[in-house]
Order: sequence, then structure tokens, then C-alpha cells
Amino acid sequence: MKRMATKRMWREVGTSYLFLSPTLFVLLLFIIGPILFAIFLAFHKVQLLGTTSFEFVGLDNFQRIADDTRAKIALWNTLKYVVIVVPCQTILALVLAATLNAGLKGQKFFRIVYFLPTLTSSAVLTLIFMWMYNQNGLINHVLKAVGLPTYNWIGDPDVALNAIMIMNIWATAPYFMVIYLAALQDVPDSLYEAAELDGASAWQKFWHITVPYLRPVTSFVVVMGLIGTFQLFDQSYIFSGGSGGPNNSTLTVVLLIYQYAFKTLGTMGYAAALAFALAILIFIATLLQRKLSKEESLY
Amino acid sequence: MEMKKWLATVGAASVLFGSLLAGCSGGEKAEQTNGGGKAEEKVEVTLAGWGGNPTEQKLLKQTLDDFEKKYPNIKVKYEVIADQYMDVIKTRLAGGQGPDVFYLDAFEAPALIETGAIEPLDKYVTDEFDIDDFEKPMLDAFKGKDGKIYGFPKDYSTLALFYNKKMFEEAGVEVPKTWDELREVAKKLTKGKQVYGFGVAPELARLYYIAESKGGKVVTDNKASFADPKVVEALQPIVDMHLKDKSAAQPNEVGATWGGEMFGQGKAAMVIEGNWAIPFLQETFPNLEFGTAEIPTINGKKTTMAYTVAYVMNKDSKKKEAAWKLIEYLTGKEGMKTWTSKGYALPTRKSVAAALGFDKDPLRAPLVAGASYATVWQNGTNLPIITNNFNNQFVSAFLGERPLAEALKEAQKTANSEIESK
Repeated sequence: MKRMATKRMWREVGTSYLFLSPTLFVLLLFIIGPILFAIFLAFHKVQLLGTTSFEFVGLDNFQRIADDTRAKIALWNTLKYVVIVVPCQTILALVLAATLNAGLKGQKFFRIVYFLPTLTSSAVLTLIFMWMYNQNGLINHVLKAVGLPTYNWIGDPDVALNAIMIMNIWATAPYFMVIYLAALQDVPDSLYEAAELDGASAWQKFWHITVPYLRPVTSFVVVMGLIGTFQLFDQSYIFSGGSGGPNNSTLTVVLLIYQYAFKTLGTMGYAAALAFALAILIFIATLLQRKLSKEESLY
Repeated sequence: MEMKKWLATVGAASVLFGSLLAGCSGGEKAEQTNGGGKAEEKVEVTLAGWGGNPTEQKLLKQTLDDFEKKYPNIKVKYEVIADQYMDVIKTRLAGGQGPDVFYLDAFEAPALIETGAIEPLDKYVTDEFDIDDFEKPMLDAFKGKDGKIYGFPKDYSTLALFYNKKMFEEAGVEVPKTWDELREVAKKLTKGKQVYGFGVAPELARLYYIAESKGGKVVTDNKASFADPKVVEALQPIVDMHLKDKSAAQPNEVGATWGGEMFGQGKAAMVIEGNWAIPFLQETFPNLEFGTAEIPTINGKKTTMAYTVAYVMNKDSKKKEAAWKLIEYLTGKEGMKTWTSKGYALPTRKSVAAALGFDKDPLRAPLVAGASYATVWQNGTNLPIITNNFNNQFVSAFLGERPLAEALKEAQKTANSEIESK
């Protein structure tokens, strides 16, 4: 009897894995495999062209990060970007969602209008913005018309990264706004009614009911924002033509990884080490964020 | 978020690419079975390059058609890699899917030759091919450390001074003959922020010959040495023109993407560009009256840059004989004459240049004259790293954020530490 049972159990397990196999195969081939290979590369000096060679170098690639001036600049730029963009886009998304949820006239229309930027591919978006950022472009014309100073948005190292930040906040906030909108539907009306009876103002209701109630969603939005902003690549790539210029001001970690992997020969291992380090950094940032939000959580 | 989109794009592209490859190999098989019965098997050679303008594409197509007529058993499959050419080529070579014959810029050549991914061509060359006919500096750019030739230059471009005739007339100035004259003339041509006397590209590829004009070296022993006071001295006037005279500007300061555009839009009275700018200006700005002249002398010496591109053969190619036939034809006297006949690029063979008579063309003569004294844009395997660091810091000096000497010193330090840890 017992043997029969194990046999049947094995058969069931076998069938389940048979059904899982296409997914498992894809996962192994396209996700797990490359991750393992990247970790392997990070500990080797790699030459892929011509005579392919892998030379084990231990932690040399990681030590090199410490001596690399450009890696430090890239990290600093990325951190600056994360620290400014994540709060801005989160707050903007929350404010947009709250105003849309307030029951204004034509809110469906505004919802569509606000969401439109998210639908455009980020590469196209960057190209459109570069055109607007042009020295004689739309943005400078508007600034001049209202009497504000104009900038060389693309060519000036002091403003190039800010230009990308503005563009990215504008493009990603609506995406998180939709998530907030969905969560806002969940806030029970009874809470607001109770607050109204106590004589709370609109601002007090927002600050003491809406914001705390949305905390789990905020946590999600911030984590997704962190991961997304740490991986900034395509915008600064297109903006600077792949160089990270002017004067390294738009050089991000992922762009640096790309440069080492594909632009210079024989540094694939170092690029993999950088990527590995970035992954750890994002992991730590996410853990920190989760820890912080959990402690403040009401639930 | 963005990275995910990027990954998705790459994923989709690779799937497409994969199916494309599958399609190709299927086609090849079919062809082989078709031709299997015949004595002469039809060979298909792939040729990869970056796209040019429509006229250039037509010229190349014509050259390839002539080739196929001459060698009916060889079919050429021409692929255009429109963007990020070197990245695509390197990735495909590493993946064993490289084209049989492809373009290679002299700038990238030493590093790629060193990896051993390119076939040396000496053993294929016949006397008839006439190597001595090539301009020597252009040919030397594709020699490996072992002295073997890894590619034959298909054409080249040099730099010359482009000037706006109308603006010169209005300002009542002559075309400058020396660099000091250029600086004076630029001041007179400048009209505030509307028109700059001189449009300059603050990058090493365009400044290399100026940097070395006072005897300093940008690269020594495959390492950066551009912090040399002699190099700083040579480049200082460019920075001064921008910051002190306010007579020079880079294209993006006036909303243009490159010098030719800035010049065409009338925002610069002079730019230093190559022959690619001639057809561009004639087509895009037909009313513009411009002339070309040799680059003003520095220290009484004539100098300019030359950029050259060669056809090279993939070491892993399975059709080397046919691939050589293609290179031989494209860089031979006949093929090169067709290819360069319209003057988009200049022929690297002396005999072809003489036959086409570009040295007598008023717009192109200064460019042709430059070939004999030009510095070829290439220097060792580390030039890409050196260039990247130079450009990054030179811009900050050009914009007045820090003194040139300090900027170059730091760039040199960064470049060399990158080279050492390679």
C-alpha cells in the first residue's frame, strides 16, 4: 500500500513538473542562467572577442571599483537622482491622485490626460524632451516669455542631470498616480464622515486619514521608484549620446556598466562586477525602506 | 521601470533577430541544395556597414552590382547596421555570428586587431592589387603590431576650413592663413550671440592635430599624456576664444547638433569640418554661399586630421576566398573609382584620386591637399578610453568651470588609472 502511495505521489509530482517545465525552462535559460553567468563573470577577467578567455581574478574586479573615479561619479549622480526623484514623484503622484479622487467635474478626462505620458516609450519621450530642451526650444522660449533665465539644458553639466530628473518625474508620476487612485477607492467613507463630524478640515482629512491609510501603497510606490531610478539608463544614454557627458554629469551606474561591457574591449568582467554591486545596493536600499515603513506602519 | 522596458525591447529584438537568423540560414541551405548539382557552387558573402545618405547607398549598390557581374558565383548580402555600429559588430563577433566582411574605423582598429578577431590579409594580396598605390598613412592605420595588414582603407576624409562668403564680405575680412589670423577674423565676424565667428567641436577627434601642434603628445606609449604643458598651450587659444573673445561656440550652444548644421544655419561664420559637410550643405542649405580652405597653419606648419575606414575580414568567416575577392574588388582601382566618383569620400588610391581629378575641384582641393600632411585619427589600443576622458574634462574647461591645465591633468590621471587597471 505504502509503495503504491509513494508511486502515485511521484507520478503527481512528475506531472506537475511536466506542466511547469516550459516556464522553468524559460526561467532557467533567460533569468537564472544569465544571473549565474554574470556572477561568474564578475570574478573573472574576460576576453570575449577573438580568442575567448576567462581568467579567474578573485575579487580584483570589486577592488577596482574603489579606485575608479568614474564609478564614484556615476554612483554619486545615481544617488542624487534617486534622492530627488523618488520623493518628488511619490508626492506628485499622491497629490494628483487625491485631487482626481475629490470628485471634480470631468475627472475621467483629467485621469486620461494625466496618464498619457506613461504610454509613450521612454526613448521617444527623451527625444521629444531633447527637442524641447534645445537651446532655441520650447522650454527656453516659455522661460524667456515669463522672464525667467534660460539654460543650455543639454550641454551644461550643471543642469543636464536636472533636466533628466524633471523629465522622469513628469513621465513616471502618473503611473504611480493610477496605483494611488486604485488604493483611494478602498478608503472607507465612514472614516471621512466621522472626521467631518469632529469638524476636521479638508487638509486634516487628507493628512490624518488618506496618507496613513495609503501607507502600504506608498511603501510599494517607493520601492518600485527606488528600483527604477537606480537603474536609470536609457534617458541619460540618449541625452548624452552614450557618453555620460557633458563632463560626466549624466553618467549613471548602468550607463557605466554599459560602457565597460560594450564600449571598451576586455572589461566585461569588471562590468559584471559593477552590475553585481549595483544589485546589492538596490537590495540594501529596498530592505532599508521596508524596515523604515514597517516601523511606522499602523497595521 | 525604464530598465524593464529596455530589457523588454532587447528581448523582443533578440527574438526577432533569432528568427531572422533562422530565416537566413534556411535560405542558405536552400540555395546550396539548388546549386549543389552544378560545378560552381554559389557563395553568399555578408557585408556589414553603417548606412550613408541615399546617394552613397546608391554608389555602393552599384559597386556591388558590378562585383556580382564580374564574379557571378558570388552573391553579396549587404546589411546596414544603422545605430551603435561597433557595439553590434563586437556582440555579433563574440557570438560567432559576425559578417564575413565589414567596415572598421581606424580609431577602433588597433584594439579589435589585438583580440585576434580579424583575418590578416597579406597572404591573399597579389601583385596586381598594387598595394603601393595606397596613401601610406591610411594603410598604416590598419597594420597590426606584427606588421601584417588587417584591412584596406576604402576611403578617407580630412578636415578643412569652411567659411561663409557673405559674412566674410560684410565683415570685410580675408580667409585666415594662420591660427592667429583666424582668432582675429573670428572676433570681427562675431555678432553677439546671434553669429559666432568660429564653430568648434570640443572633442579630441577634432582637436588632436591642434593639441599636438606645439610639440606635445596626446598619447605616449599607449597612455594618456595630454596634460603636457605643450598640449595645454596649444589648446588654450580655443578655450580663450570661447571665454575671453566670445567669438567661438560649440554647436549645442546655438541649438545645432553638429558643426555643419551650425554653419548652415548661419550661426557660425567658420567651422572646421570634413568632406561629408559639402554634400550636406549643398542639399540642406542650397542658398548658402560657402568656400573651403586649408586649415590655418599653426606655428607655420600645415596640419589637419584624416579619418579612414577599411574593409576587414572576419577571422571566423567560412568563405574567406570569396570574402577576399569582395575586399579586393571594393578597394581595387575599379571598385574604388565607382564608390568615390561622387566625392562623398576621397579615394585612398593615388591613381584613383588622379583619375577623378578631385585635386582640381574648388571645394575639395583643400581636403585632398590635406591628405599628405594629415594626422590619422588613431593611436594605439587605448585611444577610446583616452578620448572619453579628454572629452569629458575638456568640455568643463571650455565652459569655464576650471582652468584647462587642471582639467586635463585630472582627465589624464583618470584615463591612466583606467588603462592600468584593465
